[in-house]
Amino acid sequence: MAQRAGIVAVAQTKYHPNRADVNEAELAYEAIKQVLEETGLTLSDIDSVVTCCQDAWDGRTIASLNLQHVVGAHFGHEFTVAEDGINAAYVAMSQVLSGDHETVLVESHMKESQGEKSLIENAGFDAILMRQLGLDFTSAAALQARRYMDKYGITPEQCAKAVVRNHGNAKNNPFAQGPMDITVDDVLRSEMLVSPIRLLDTKPISDGACVMIVATEEKAKKLARKPVWMMGVSNCYETHYLGDRELADCDALVKAARKAYSMADINDPLRQIDVAEISTEYSYQEPLWMEGLGFCGRGEGGKLADSKSIEMGGQLPVNPSGGVLPGNPNGVAGMARVAEAVLQLRGEAGARQVKGAKVALAHGYTGICGQLQAVMILANV
Amino acid sequence: MAEGSPTKQPERPEYIRIKFDLPRPYNWSTGRYLGKLYAEAKENKKLVANRCPKCKEIKVHAPTPVCPKCKVDMGWDWVELPQTGTVFQYTYQVYPLFDPHLGRTFADPHPPAIILLDNGVFLRHRLEETDTKKLREGMRVQAVWEEDYEKRGQGFQDILYFRTIEE
Amino acid sequence: MAGRVAIVGVGQTHHTTRRNDVNMAEMVGEAVRAALADAQLSIKDIEAFIFSNMEAFEGVLLPDHGMVAEVGATGKPGFKVTGGGTTGSEAVGEGCHMISAGLYDITMVVSWQKHDCGDATAGISAAAVPTFAKGMVTGAVSEFAKQALSYMKESGAKEEHAAMVRLKADRGACRNPYSHLKLGLGSIDEVLQSPYLVWPIRLYDFCPQSCGACVIILASEKSAKKIHKKPVWVADFVVVHQEPFRAGSFGDPTGTETYSQHVACERLYKRNGITNVRKQVDLAEIYEPSTWEEMSLYEHFYFCEKNEGWKLIEKGVTDIEGDFPVNCSGGVIASNPIGATPVIRIAEAALQIRGDAGEHQATRDIKTAIATALGGPNWTAMFLLKRSL
Repeated sequence: MAQRAGIVAVAQTKYHPNRADVNEAELAYEAIKQVLEETGLTLSDIDSVVTCCQDAWDGRTIASLNLQHVVGAHFGHEFTVAEDGINAAYVAMSQVLSGDHETVLVESHMKESQGEKSLIENAGFDAILMRQLGLDFTSAAALQARRYMDKYGITPEQCAKAVVRNHGNAKNNPFAQGPMDITVDDVLRSEMLVSPIRLLDTKPISDGACVMIVATEEKAKKLARKPVWMMGVSNCYETHYLGDRELADCDALVKAARKAYSMADINDPLRQIDVAEISTEYSYQEPLWMEGLGFCGRGEGGKLADSKSIEMGGQLPVNPSGGVLPGNPNGVAGMARVAEAVLQLRGEAGARQVKGAKVALAHGYTGICGQLQAVMILANV
Repeated sequence: MAEGSPTKQPERPEYIRIKFDLPRPYNWSTGRYLGKLYAEAKENKKLVANRCPKCKEIKVHAPTPVCPKCKVDMGWDWVELPQTGTVFQYTYQVYPLFDPHLGRTFADPHPPAIILLDNGVFLRHRLEETDTKKLREGMRVQAVWEEDYEKRGQGFQDILYFRTIEE
Repeated sequence: MAGRVAIVGVGQTHHTTRRNDVNMAEMVGEAVRAALADAQLSIKDIEAFIFSNMEAFEGVLLPDHGMVAEVGATGKPGFKVTGGGTTGSEAVGEGCHMISAGLYDITMVVSWQKHDCGDATAGISAAAVPTFAKGMVTGAVSEFAKQALSYMKESGAKEEHAAMVRLKADRGACRNPYSHLKLGLGSIDEVLQSPYLVWPIRLYDFCPQSCGACVIILASEKSAKKIHKKPVWVADFVVVHQEPFRAGSFGDPTGTETYSQHVACERLYKRNGITNVRKQVDLAEIYEPSTWEEMSLYEHFYFCEKNEGWKLIEKGVTDIEGDFPVNCSGGVIASNPIGATPVIRIAEAALQIRGDAGEHQATRDIKTAIATALGGPNWTAMFLLKRSL
């Protein structure tokens, strides 16, 4: 790509189990105000807006109607990407590289506390064949976890280590929702939700918003002291019906990563990437997604979970922010990973900083067992 | 599909029908700004809105943190709205339609209207008068509140409708 | 746009009240196959998918996920867009952006709505903010009723003119194999005898809820010329939202506010050197949910002077055989699968430019066309399509 798209500012609200004190617009505006202040832009300076929310979660048709005024959409260009937030960042990149827009505001929000998660997720299953089985994303994830663990011999302890590591890292993250002091034993003794997924294998209900401003290369250099460049991005769909998928693998993630890596000239992720922020709502997803991202071979996610390479100070620290498990709303999770990657590459990640990070990976997924996977490679040079 | 669909439909073959009801409850927050409107309506039977410091527009539907047109912070400048006005425009529903917030199909007998309040601000609400022959643009109307405190707390719906006042 | 993008294939389903013979994925699959056949491409050639659908109408979460296999998107990139009535335009816009950004060569825009799965009026009422507009909105009909009242008052248009609009739309619909409502109306009396829904909107003044899908395949300049003998070029497009008017949703009875349509024309026409639309553009496919709104839109898009929209109808200027044909396809009044409707406008305009619209082809030669979309509350999208750039 001749020209690059740059991220000039990012903001997140502190994730919280119930922000009953604000509506969707006010929640998003907390983050929007921050990026405007940081860049010195006003809403009138923005020439396109990409929002990220879903009607079923907000409980309203055309959910972005909630936000029109706080994103400055009057006489402006705005639409919603109804997937996880990382995809909205991808769309913003395309708008900027197309030459049609210079400065794009990207917004994602979700108030999981407002709706009944299981009922909403149930609506994501095929109405004729799957919905009446009473599936939600957790029970589907349990099917995947069981399949994955059985096929490759991944143990509950290895999955629990992901939880402990993420909560531990989250203590350094001022935006984290409620990092706990827990051990592998705590996870293994916690209440069984849907076998093999236990309560502490999952994330709590969370409310929050994440916002960023994406700009053309020229504009980015003017607006930010340290713009971060989107070097390679792609996403990929898997098929819908659980019975048609090999749940122990994540082919969509493999494909999305391959495309993003090739755009960014990455052929050895462990060596060339300095920090990775990946989205995991369930503990088994960390070893599984790391296999998909090529951090290890097929079926070796458990071994990687046991090793020190992905810890802070290791060869490729995963989720210095603590990731999604301590609490991130779905829909925002992927964009929050991009925001954290940006902070790392700007050297502004405080106590969770990976020293000298130059290349970062951000990952997000949408839907049942990660049906739509997205990977983004970012760099600060 | 709404009953009595207006288009001509061909003979319907027999289908196996499976009934699967799954109501989805939501818990929406009003937030600070709309929350103030709700509080004033419930506690004081007053209708309030906030005013943009730049363009001075009063944001009735609904009070917000950012002025939609100026795109600046609205701040916390609140205005009490008059409770009388004139009917600027009205219409009336003939055909029953399903309302998803109330969960039923009905034709609201109270005509929806745009009321020009005495301070020049437009309010969307409904009229008490259900006899369409008595409706007229320009007629003077007054807000009628839900008097029972326990039943208030519905924001704009704390005003039941606007009553025609004889001059 | 940095890179040039062309429409190289279009496909639609036969829009209708109920498609009990197919599920959502199968219905959309029909349009995908039709578009591939039109472009003479195989599904393997499609590199990315942009979905357009308003999921609230069918009550589905992530509806694009459910149809990945049927549509041919397994193992491929894509995402779904939501944006009210303008969703489809925004999806086509993104399909163009993905190409002109240099990310893909060939993208497919997949749009649909299967209204028999739900209740469109209820879905639209659910667009009202639950915390302050509960019980205040009776779908789109009441909002267009208010627009009609304002238009009647300001322009002097009569119910007879609205009826004439329906007659014109029906003539086009009866000649269009894909349109939903083919009423076979003989005279305006039939329209004037249909019952009122919300006064003054009569049954025949308003669009239906249709089940239908429309798919457009877009390609970069270098691929477009290889794929299709008659690529239709996307010269430009614009999307403009707006804050609702103080005293209306689609019409401003105070006469003091600016319409998004005016802002859209200001940008699109200016950027493309259009100073006299009727002379420089040959045809329009506009998004008109009601007969009264069509007359208003003629004025908003500068097809005529203010308050004269009804005169164009009276004189037959916008008929298929007219000087400035509008909605030869029958328009939205005849078919409205909401998520697909803006894409249908673009597809129909493209067919007109190609001379491939069959029996509803405009009499004049169409080299340049405008396709518009309308969303709530009065959001506008406009596409400018050309036979050659």
